[in-house]
Amino acid sequence: MASTAVVSPSYPLDLFKRAARILPGLLLLAAVGYAGKLVERSIALYGRAHHLTLPNIEYVLWAILIGLAIANTVGIPKLFQPGLLTYEFWLKAGIVLLGSRFLLGDVLKLGGASLVLVAIEIAASLAFMTALGRAFGLKPKLTTLLAVGSSICGVSAIIAAQGAIDADEEDSSFAIAAVLALGAIALFTFPLVGHWLHLNDLSYGLWAGLGIDNTAEVTAAGALYSDAAAKIAVLAKTARNAMIGFVVLGYALYWSRKEHTGGVGNKAAFLWAKFPKFVLGFLLISVLATASVFSKDQLGSLANLSRWAFLLTFAGVGLRTNIREMLKQGARPFIVGALGEIAIAFLTLGLVYGAGKFLH
Amino acid sequence: MTKKQGARTNERSATTTEAAAPNREVKVSLDAWAVALALITSLLVWTGVIKHIPW
Repeated sequence: MASTAVVSPSYPLDLFKRAARILPGLLLLAAVGYAGKLVERSIALYGRAHHLTLPNIEYVLWAILIGLAIANTVGIPKLFQPGLLTYEFWLKAGIVLLGSRFLLGDVLKLGGASLVLVAIEIAASLAFMTALGRAFGLKPKLTTLLAVGSSICGVSAIIAAQGAIDADEEDSSFAIAAVLALGAIALFTFPLVGHWLHLNDLSYGLWAGLGIDNTAEVTAAGALYSDAAAKIAVLAKTARNAMIGFVVLGYALYWSRKEHTGGVGNKAAFLWAKFPKFVLGFLLISVLATASVFSKDQLGSLANLSRWAFLLTFAGVGLRTNIREMLKQGARPFIVGALGEIAIAFLTLGLVYGAGKFLH
Repeated sequence: MTKKQGARTNERSATTTEAAAPNREVKVSLDAWAVALALITSLLVWTGVIKHIPW
């Protein structure tokens, strides 16, 4: 959502240069992701060869940890940065392909239930974060960005809202740093709490999809729990992402009235511009899978393609997390974000327990 | 360019999906690229060009 690419059919050389720029970072993503897969396999083989019962730590965690170790020790040279940023592209392509693992009926049932939960979650977290921001004396627009980031979809929502409400870049950086730091913490705490509470895949997937901010972290936290939980988490998060346009439009109208600026123009065009298009791709693939367009083997191949795309994403999550940079951002936005996230985690857990009675 | 102007410029480019007339460049969002790639690979799998993707 946050990035664009410019296609110039008359300049193939330019396109070639762009591809060459992203290649080093892309190779690094692939190397780190594949290393995670190799470590998981090696540990399993070692355990089998020596008749040991070793804990099965998924490639997801290894890829993230290897990425984190590289980014926070040797660092990432500039040469790799353009390619690293493609992790969000692979995430979206992976989500579209994940549509092949859903029948449309499941999407409508779970997606519909998720939308109801998402609406409650968004309303409650926007209100709570706004009150918290006021109580801590944060700037109103920074509070808005934190509220949007923690209630809908993390970094993408903050970037979309920044332009719409005309916020400072400093506020946006604070909010993004807070959301990324809290997302990294949630990535490790949600699976632990989920196991501790003995949540089933459905409940955990819904909880991760509703409670964690950034789509990449949601996907990783789901995959750390189980394959089935990851599917549900991505579906719930996709329903949440679909609401981004409405919330950003609401805030854009609020701030344009408050500051007597020109408003937002055509509201339908605004909503379409903010709507995450990959949601439509996900639904299209799901419709095709439901209509039995693909054979069983083909569905397996599409699901594996989705896994490979997510592998690059998980590597990117680790590689783009710079702990030192996050610590530089100051404590107050982080404290507000953390308190809000804890409250949202409890709220969404309650919602999931309530919804569990209807979804089984 | 001030930071706010910079932010507005970024936002405009981030949400633009329509053709930019003067230099005939077509701006395509990251989402659209991702959807296009996923649909093309699905098509290749469906037509049998890609036979099997292992994991």
